Amino acid sequence: MASNYSRLEMMVVAASRLLRNGERVLVGTGIPLVAAILAKKTHARDMVMMMEAVAFDSNPEALPFCVADPRAVYRTTWTPTSAEVMGHFLQSGKIDVGFLGGAQVDRYGNLNSTCIGPYHRPEKRFEGSGGASDIASLAKRTIIIMNHEKRRFVDRVDYISSPGWKCRALDWKSDTMRANVGLNGGPYAVVSTLGVMKFDEQSKEMYADTYYDDLGVSIGDIRGMTEFEIDVSRARPMAPPLPEELGVLREKVDPEGIYMRY
Amino acid sequence: MDRRQKRIPIERVSEFVQDGDCVWLGGWTVVRKPFAMAYELIRAGKKNLHLVNNPGGPETDLLIGCGCASKSETNYIGHELFGHPYNFRRRFEQPESNKGFRHDDWTVATGSLRIMAGAMGIPFIPTRFLRGSDILNPEMDGFRDLRGVDPKVPKRKFMMLKDPFWEGEEVVLIPSIRPDVCLIHAQEAGEDGTVRITGGVFLDYYAAVAAKVTIVSAEKIVPKRALETTREENAIPGEAVDAVVEAPFGAHPTAVHGCYDNDPWWFRDYLKASKSEETMQKWADEWIFEPGSFKGYLEKVGSSRLAKITADPKLLYSATIKRRLDKLEEVN
Repeated sequence: MASNYSRLEMMVVAASRLLRNGERVLVGTGIPLVAAILAKKTHARDMVMMMEAVAFDSNPEALPFCVADPRAVYRTTWTPTSAEVMGHFLQSGKIDVGFLGGAQVDRYGNLNSTCIGPYHRPEKRFEGSGGASDIASLAKRTIIIMNHEKRRFVDRVDYISSPGWKCRALDWKSDTMRANVGLNGGPYAVVSTLGVMKFDEQSKEMYADTYYDDLGVSIGDIRGMTEFEIDVSRARPMAPPLPEELGVLREKVDPEGIYMRY
Repeated sequence: MDRRQKRIPIERVSEFVQDGDCVWLGGWTVVRKPFAMAYELIRAGKKNLHLVNNPGGPETDLLIGCGCASKSETNYIGHELFGHPYNFRRRFEQPESNKGFRHDDWTVATGSLRIMAGAMGIPFIPTRFLRGSDILNPEMDGFRDLRGVDPKVPKRKFMMLKDPFWEGEEVVLIPSIRPDVCLIHAQEAGEDGTVRITGGVFLDYYAAVAAKVTIVSAEKIVPKRALETTREENAIPGEAVDAVVEAPFGAHPTAVHGCYDNDPWWFRDYLKASKSEETMQKWADEWIFEPGSFKGYLEKVGSSRLAKITADPKLLYSATIKRRLDKLEEVN
């Protein structure tokens, strides 16, 4: 049976389901913004959506193009700076969820959005990680969303922009668990175009929690598209999108297809 | 300078910026960037600028592409979803294009704290961010060969300190940012320098106080008297501003809350041109040098395009522009 929705749509719906009503969520630019607005317009109407540039408790009518977009501050009651949103609320541990994208992720949920290849002579130099490192460091939990490809789900990221469960020690010569360098929270899930990955309680390594069975994704696909050995023994099929979720996503959240590329 | 009359013509902006200066560019990525003033610096042929911002947008990529900068120090340089900062990328991806250019990576939160420390006149500030990441990895310090050599660069990137006052947490000390010049574009400014900004001040207040010289361009210059009522809307006191410039559409092609939106046609053309040194130079000739002034540039953009991006008076952004570059319709 052919499905009437895409993997990109399933990824956004799956990510939105991980956000809970009433939480304070600090959202990064891009696909996280789409999933967070979808959550606000469906099951998490009282979620407080914050963006690092200025928007505090954002309720946009139109999809913002970035976290500083005038669309993001439409009808907000406070327009702080990143010194308050990040320096005060995030640094003092008052943010429940950080919601991020990235170019590479590894088995411990370290994220790279800086460069591919050696730092000083990179094959690919990206824009930079913006506020992702800050958010991944001190939010109570972090949700990561990205396309599932072998070059993205790597054994070791080329550069740790945003620390995961096992990151750089304070001597910057060895690796250590994040609690040892004083960081809060940690990666909670990686939502991809194949399924939702979580992190083992004990080992803190990534495993496959659900896969998009309804779209023809198999657990073999997840293993094949992941550079490191990933545990798929716990993977269950993901429930397909509800008509309401798809309808709100297509008609209200991103009707222009700015992020969803319709 | 007269404390009540700080107005200067845009042509004089470049007199306030010296080669090698550390220049803060206000706004945020594709929002409220001081483009009219950046174009002036390019026309004046400024060299070796040390660009700082939080974060950078097309103005930073453009200054790099036009050979005005030798250093950047920020968390991001880009055009958001429009596309990639090819001039900046080329400096690192193609060694023959590097020409001694250096970049130091930071984060949004720590850049905010660093410019705040600059405004406070303190040399450094502690933070709980950055631990565990490669941003502090000494092997990956983009300014490592400049530390202790270049007076505009802090002697070290950071230092760890065990909190001596409370629980003894290992925190990171990071240097303040000390711009020579701060360039900001705002909706409104008084003749005395008072700045009114709506829809997000970003780090502009801190940068204006931190910098030795601050210049503000505004959509509209008004008498000081006009900003005395509803003073809560004023973001920066006139005492922190050295000169003001009237420049309608002065942030074009970036968005200004309540005034105009991003110009997607500009981004489409610029992204295409910025892919190589040759096409970039051609673009700069066509859009910056040949028009000769910001006025000439706006005439080249054309009134119908400016009308298209003008903000809806209630929404404060344009409800009609299309932000998908692959689906743009031509406008004449």
